[in-house]
Amino acid sequence: MVGNKNRNKKKKEKMDIISNGVVIFFALLSLFPLYWLMTSSLKNSSDVVKMPPDWIPKTISFENYVDVFNNQPALRWAFNSTYVSLVSTIALIMVSCLAAYAFSKLRFKGRNILFIIFISSLMVPKEVMIVPLFRIIQDFGMVNTLNGMIWPNVATAFGVFMLKGFFDAIPDSLRESAKMDGASEFTVFFKIMLPMVKPGIGALFILNFVQVWNDYLWQLVVGQDENSKTLMVGIATLMQDLNPNFAYKMAGATVAAVPMLLIFILFQRYFTKGISIGAVKE
Amino acid sequence: MFKKGFLASSMAMILVLGILSGCTGNDSAKTNGKSKDQVEISVWLTPQWKGVMDGSEKGADYDSFLKHAGEKFAAQYKEHDVKVNVEVIAGDQRDELLNVNLNGGTPPDVFFESVFAMGDYVHRGALVPLNDIVDEKAKKDIAKNYWDSVTFGDDIYFYPFSHMPGTLAYNADMFKAAGLDEYIGDKNEIKTWKLADYEKILKALKKDLPKDKYPNAYPMALYALNNQGDTWNLAYFRMFGNPFFNDKGNIALNDANGIKAAEWMKKIYDSGLTNPGAESVSSNDANAMFQNQQLAISFTNSVLASNAKADMESGKAPKFDMRLANIPSESGKPLTFTYVTGAAVFNTEDKTRMKVSKDFVKFMSTDPELVKASKNGVPVRTSVAEEFKGDNPIFAAYDENAKYMFNFTGNVPGYSQLRQILYPELQALYTGEKTAEQIVKDYQEKGNQIIEESKANSVIYKK
Repeated sequence: MVGNKNRNKKKKEKMDIISNGVVIFFALLSLFPLYWLMTSSLKNSSDVVKMPPDWIPKTISFENYVDVFNNQPALRWAFNSTYVSLVSTIALIMVSCLAAYAFSKLRFKGRNILFIIFISSLMVPKEVMIVPLFRIIQDFGMVNTLNGMIWPNVATAFGVFMLKGFFDAIPDSLRESAKMDGASEFTVFFKIMLPMVKPGIGALFILNFVQVWNDYLWQLVVGQDENSKTLMVGIATLMQDLNPNFAYKMAGATVAAVPMLLIFILFQRYFTKGISIGAVKE
Repeated sequence: MFKKGFLASSMAMILVLGILSGCTGNDSAKTNGKSKDQVEISVWLTPQWKGVMDGSEKGADYDSFLKHAGEKFAAQYKEHDVKVNVEVIAGDQRDELLNVNLNGGTPPDVFFESVFAMGDYVHRGALVPLNDIVDEKAKKDIAKNYWDSVTFGDDIYFYPFSHMPGTLAYNADMFKAAGLDEYIGDKNEIKTWKLADYEKILKALKKDLPKDKYPNAYPMALYALNNQGDTWNLAYFRMFGNPFFNDKGNIALNDANGIKAAEWMKKIYDSGLTNPGAESVSSNDANAMFQNQQLAISFTNSVLASNAKADMESGKAPKFDMRLANIPSESGKPLTFTYVTGAAVFNTEDKTRMKVSKDFVKFMSTDPELVKASKNGVPVRTSVAEEFKGDNPIFAAYDENAKYMFNFTGNVPGYSQLRQILYPELQALYTGEKTAEQIVKDYQEKGNQIIEESKANSVIYKK
């Protein structure tokens, strides 16, 4: 009996080692492009395409980064990207929380139809709406302003759809009990419901921040002058069709990717929790 | 209670203030033409060269020249108080930005760009003719083939400023190492080889290049990943005498010579005379491989060639003896082409701005000081080329080569769409999915369909 247990334990340990090995292998594999991006940004352009490649840079040079920050208003671009992503995301969360709560917990006529119409807008790609949206932004005088990049991203159906799932998972009895104790709708919303959907808000924050950060096409058409360019658009401007400096491109791409990585690392806890909670409805 | 109300009101206030600040935040909205005396025009360009005259200037950037030209123009312009706003956009952002702005009714007033990339906008009626600002003096100073490439139908739509000839580049050190000294041209010569010699060169490079000195090196660059650098691929199609376009402005590739050219491309690829995996190699990759001495012969243009030399001088790339050659042909008559760069004026439907824009284009394209900046490419003006021949001896070689140039776009409508259907056919050729006959036939059929549809919508063909 004891022998069997030991054998099973050993077998389990062996399996653990194998599965951990497989996980580590795939983790390293998926991290490799990031490693290649960062190390290439420290090389000369010709060294990037060297065959056989230098897996570890032989000489490290920060010249490409100096070029990006010295010759271009990269700090201004980074500020614009951060500002646009942050304000859009905060505003989207505010709007989405209120709307999702209403769709989930309040009973009103036409609620389901309204929700279906609302989420059906998820099926329309943004590219289709670019020209009409651009004309609206033009009429509001928001071309070449950061506001022109922010507000069209605020009232999107995705946030409402996602958070509604989280509100649905909270039993209605909680709201009813609070109401019986004399709580107003706002008290129920702010003090009871919102704290319970925090993981969902965290996940939405990351997802939307990344989406707005990478919203290249819209930011490109709205921010046409040098001062309103975002990091994604500005870095793309550095690329010339027939004059490639691969290391310079890699440095630009690294500059554009690092803030995203930091945001993910900071909010990773909420992100993973939010995704798993949202997946199960009890 | 107060707390709840305050919180809710604050959230609402933030949103409302944000929207209002957006409404009033039109910090750079155009006031174009609204005031009688003040006119603002927007000038867009894709990156051409840094600085007013060259990159050694302090703070040199891609917009320096046009900003300087704008200030100089405004200082001497009597009709209006003019402000010229210059914006640099990346080449791959050009069409997205132009299409959205054209649909929104806010195209730029002036665009400074390679003509080949802008031809479709002429056919769409987005640009206005510039015949009225071109005088006889300019026509004499700029050779006819440059005017031909900016003329659509009977009208001139771009004012030629500089050009960027496309040739082959070869590594003379690799040639020497392979015992090919007799095929090396002078430093400032654009060497012409016959096709038979070219094949000998490729074979010798494959066989005799010392593997210890040049490991993983291949004789010639071949690429078909996307539409970048496709002009060289188009040139290879003409190697056996195919004219590519007929008199009616349709593709005429599907004949014995066109098929022969496609077979030749496949043959050198299969024989290992080019880099492997051409279907997944881009022109950028090929260029980088050439700079890294992994390719002995590659494509180049005047800007790429001088950038490559500058990289070698500054130590950013390995140093070698880089020289130029024409694309060979079976007849012995070399093949070459050029990208003419110039300014065009958009039809903004604002007569004042269009008049000022035309005056600006004329000024920047004729002012004796400003036209000297064309030396950053290759000047289209004979007078400027003459003046700088001493500093740039290669200008004389480009000048001599001009007689071999062919107009690679044929100024046909839908050229940008033609570019999108070429590389999938080349990929099919290199992967063996299609034969040479098949790709030539398919490309011609699809291409002519695009041209016919574009002709139906072209303001030039509707005239």
